[in-house]
Amino acid sequence: MMRRLLIGSLTMVLLQGCVTATVQQVRQANTSMASGDSVVVLGRRSRPSTAETELDFVDCVGRNMRGGKQVRVIEEQDFRDALFPWFEPRTAPVNASDLPELMTLPALAERFESLGLRYLIWIDGSTKRTESGGSLTCSITTAGAGCFGFLSWENDSSYEAQIWDVQTATTAGRVSSDAVGTSYMPAVIVPLPFIAPVKSSACSSMADQLLTFLSGGG
Amino acid sequence: MVLANAFRRAWFHGRRLPGRALLARLLAPLTLGLVGGCSGAAVEVPQEFPIPLVEKLPLRMGLLLTPELTSYVHEQTLEGSGDWRIELGSAQTPMFRNLLAGMFESSEIATTAGAPGLAGVLEPAIEEVQFSTPDQTRSDYYEVWIRYRFQLFGRDGTLVADWPLAAYGKANQRHYGMSSREPALQAAALAACRDAMAFFTVQFRSVPDVQRWLAAELAGGSE
Repeated sequence: MMRRLLIGSLTMVLLQGCVTATVQQVRQANTSMASGDSVVVLGRRSRPSTAETELDFVDCVGRNMRGGKQVRVIEEQDFRDALFPWFEPRTAPVNASDLPELMTLPALAERFESLGLRYLIWIDGSTKRTESGGSLTCSITTAGAGCFGFLSWENDSSYEAQIWDVQTATTAGRVSSDAVGTSYMPAVIVPLPFIAPVKSSACSSMADQLLTFLSGGG
Repeated sequence: MVLANAFRRAWFHGRRLPGRALLARLLAPLTLGLVGGCSGAAVEVPQEFPIPLVEKLPLRMGLLLTPELTSYVHEQTLEGSGDWRIELGSAQTPMFRNLLAGMFESSEIATTAGAPGLAGVLEPAIEEVQFSTPDQTRSDYYEVWIRYRFQLFGRDGTLVADWPLAAYGKANQRHYGMSSREPALQAAALAACRDAMAFFTVQFRSVPDVQRWLAAELAGGSE
């Protein structure tokens, strides 16, 4: 059993490409969380921009922050439904300075209060394939199937989180998370993927840094 | 049975195949199936919508839903990518019921314009639906446009306002994994319906004819 675990772990390590992750933060105001306070992590989908932050990245940051058990993180879809229609692509506030106007709606202010919402975290960015090379050919014949070749590709994740303080309607700061990694796939009959977990590294780095930021550290 | 045996003979040439060859032959139809299955999609818009969080107007409102609206289906054949079908009709009832429930003090389904006891009756209609696929736009997005027309009838059943509303929704195919065609198109159609609700909510009080009707109703002039 122990041996299997060891082999499994070793295989996982070997099958992962290398990732370089960088996290930066800019603090513009002090932050703190009281008991009962909550935050929400939202992906930027505002118009006229055509870009959208990946749903799985936003979900991943929220899940990682929730895993820390230090803060209560509201699910993105639950939040958008509870505050409908004020956080839809057509209507979502673009800057923290738009919040006071929204808060003049009594129903909205009450809903923020009941959710215990203290910080809104907007995530902007994406993961892109920046380079790829090599070739791989697979064929299926009556004698059998197999692949031969070598593929490599580089992914680049670049995300920025803007933290809005709902109480003061100001931007409390920004956290950026960048990660670059190259994945490989050599194939001699069987392709062996060595995948660099670029997006998940950017996600966990950002979630950790956001937790530190919200607790007033960093 | 005879046919099955004939097929088996033709398929395996009457000899026992090694495991790898057997695997290859099993994979071939699967691959063909996957390639052949990549044409068109049929989706139905989910029927769950949020209730708008706005200050309610102190009016009793009626909602007139025509069979054309509640059974609306957009069907289109795209050259090279098959038949596409977006079923929007079944989502219209919950969508507009929730919309009116959030915007007015009370609302109900009306069967005619000018039903007694109602300050007004709203009749939505879908005029046109368009969509685009990532193949067409060379992007990652499925996009859906819905052009609605709204008619508002007063207490006596006369038309007091008539205005169009263009809603838009998109969904990134990369968010929905390998077989993204149906879930992404469905998400784009749902996003367009939510956009219609959001747009209606923020636009309603600023439509000039609606403003006049509202002013009269809120002043009690039409009681």
